[in-house]
Amino acid sequence: MSETGTMTRRERVLKLFSGEKVDRPPCFSGMGNVTTAGLGQFGYKFAALHSDAKMMADAAAQTYRLTGFECGVVPFDLCVEAQALGCEINVYAHVDDILYPTIKQKIAHNEEEMGAITVPADFVKRGRIPLVKEALRLLKADIGGEVAVGSYVLGPFTLAGQIMELNDLLKLSFKKPDKVGKLLDTLADAIILCAQEFVEAGADYITVREMGATSDVLSPRVFKSLILPYLKKIFGAIKSHSVLHVCGKTNDIAGFMVESGATAISVDQKNDVAETRKKIGNALLFGNYDPYNVLVSGTTEVVRQAVRKCVEDGVDAVWPGCDIWPTVPVENIKAMLDEVTNYRR
Amino acid sequence: MVTDEKKQELLERLKNAVIQYDEDASKEASNEVVEIGMDANEAIFNGLVSGMEEVGRLFEAQEYFVPELLMSADALYAGLDILKPHVQQMDLGVKGSVVIGTVEGDVHDIGKNIVKMMFDVAGFTVYDLGRDVPLDKFIEEQLRTDSDLVCLSAMMTTTMVGMKKIIDEIKSKNPNVKIMIGGAPVSADIAEKWGADGYAKDANNALKDAINMVSSLKKMKEEADARKRA
Ligand code: B12
Repeated sequence: MSETGTMTRRERVLKLFSGEKVDRPPCFSGMGNVTTAGLGQFGYKFAALHSDAKMMADAAAQTYRLTGFECGVVPFDLCVEAQALGCEINVYAHVDDILYPTIKQKIAHNEEEMGAITVPADFVKRGRIPLVKEALRLLKADIGGEVAVGSYVLGPFTLAGQIMELNDLLKLSFKKPDKVGKLLDTLADAIILCAQEFVEAGADYITVREMGATSDVLSPRVFKSLILPYLKKIFGAIKSHSVLHVCGKTNDIAGFMVESGATAISVDQKNDVAETRKKIGNALLFGNYDPYNVLVSGTTEVVRQAVRKCVEDGVDAVWPGCDIWPTVPVENIKAMLDEVTNYRR
Repeated sequence: MVTDEKKQELLERLKNAVIQYDEDASKEASNEVVEIGMDANEAIFNGLVSGMEEVGRLFEAQEYFVPELLMSADALYAGLDILKPHVQQMDLGVKGSVVIGTVEGDVHDIGKNIVKMMFDVAGFTVYDLGRDVPLDKFIEEQLRTDSDLVCLSAMMTTTMVGMKKIIDEIKSKNPNVKIMIGGAPVSADIAEKWGADGYAKDANNALKDAINMVSSLKKMKEEADARKRA
């Protein structure tokens, strides 16, 4: 694919992360961006991707090949770490529509079981961690010369919500913050191990997805006192570039997100980015178009407008608010890239 | 005889117990209500429920977040368990029953649980199917319980489409059932297009609409009965 600027796509992203000047904001993501259009070319079913490294890597690379989207990211679901910790998952193999994998069986059902959670000694060999690593290697070998390759892990609170009943976790965060803190500390260790494996396998950047701690659910105060310390621990240990993503309302926690030590922070369409920009100064800020209502169901003109708004508000990379929905029209991604390439602030 | 003063004091304590999510205080005040023979209905509606209404306001004002809401609900349930056996007749004008759940492929259940709580508080009989509920299960459960209402929640655009199938199936089997849908990607337009009877953007509105629907349903039934008799 021909380049569209004075740097290669890969250089641009890596330079941005390193704090160097870039010719324009890159247009990429740290979250899932598989497309049904891409899957169609291989004849792959969505449900099959999650347990086959080759299919996972092919599907991820195809978004770039089809549209020029400036990265490659695996995996596509949020169950990898929870599964390696012992949860059972459902990939909906019987369903032809797109349903994202979910946790079928949690491993902690009460306070006591919560207190007993440990990271298994062979954690990184369990579940699909090796499979995602293999997919990263294949993806890197395939398109890693042209674009940056990314992967993601969950944030400690979001992971806690995957392995135990979320209602209980939320209440205990209030009633027994010390115990929840201990769990988050343990989970932070697991997350660090997982991220290290992904970096070793070739990920140029790791996104930590802490969507469970959005201000739609949890107060900024609790974010700061209970969650931020463990995010700091995680970002202190990740050796590659890193991004902290939180979706939903984030204006009141944007400052804490920067404090976490992530190379960049990422927010969704509910964030007032112009205001966040003022608050966080020059810190790298990625966002914040609506990955469904704009990119999937919008017209190309709606997409172009949204891109202009992101850039005008002051993002450093044009990047989606969450996973891009697979049914996204290819011409919308192309329109987005065209707008990013040609629009000048 | 219960003095007005004592009554007021207990109502205030019940209300505050819910607002301050204090289960023990809620139990204590409820036990006192029972001991002194105060009207349990009044204690529930002017005490516990009025506290929950205030919690709803605090939530909207972003002073409270989901954990506070859940803990307040626990305090409310703790009092309710004690008071319920002493209720003369739980009459809120309508007595409805509802089947509720988050549709298949979707595990987002925070919002659904809040809606469910509102129904509980208002005295509805709630059959909660949980999350990631296979489409057929809604239909089976409605037929089994003969509920007035079916409430479907979805938080993802992809899982939302499953609602249409459920609505069609239920309506074909049992045209009198009212169906209400909700969740972030859902809108009033979609609800109308798919033939749902209602949509609400949040839990408070969900309850209001539900009460209206159940009332109109009861009225329809009464009218039909009257016609039969005539
Ligand atoms: C918390 C969360 C999660 C948690 C869910 C935990 C749980 N047990 O619920 C976890 C981490 C597990 C999760 C997973 C995923 N998530 Co998520 N998640 C969220 C988040 C941040 C908050 C949702 C929430 O609870 N809000 C708070 C509650 C109180 O609000 P509410 O749900 O809207 O409910 C209110 C109303 O809608 C209404 N209501 C709700 N139900 C009903 C029903 C009726 C009948 C009525 C009348 C009213 C009503 O009343 C409620 C109270 O007022 C949202 C983003 C956001 N801020 O909305 C994303 C979001 C919903 N998730 C999203 C995605 C993409 C995912 C994943 C697919 C990611 C992945 N790659 O796997 C997975 C899907 C897993 C699955 N198959 O279900 C997207 C969905 C995009 C779309 N439009 O389709 C969102 C919107 C994020 C985004 N910015 O794009 N997620």
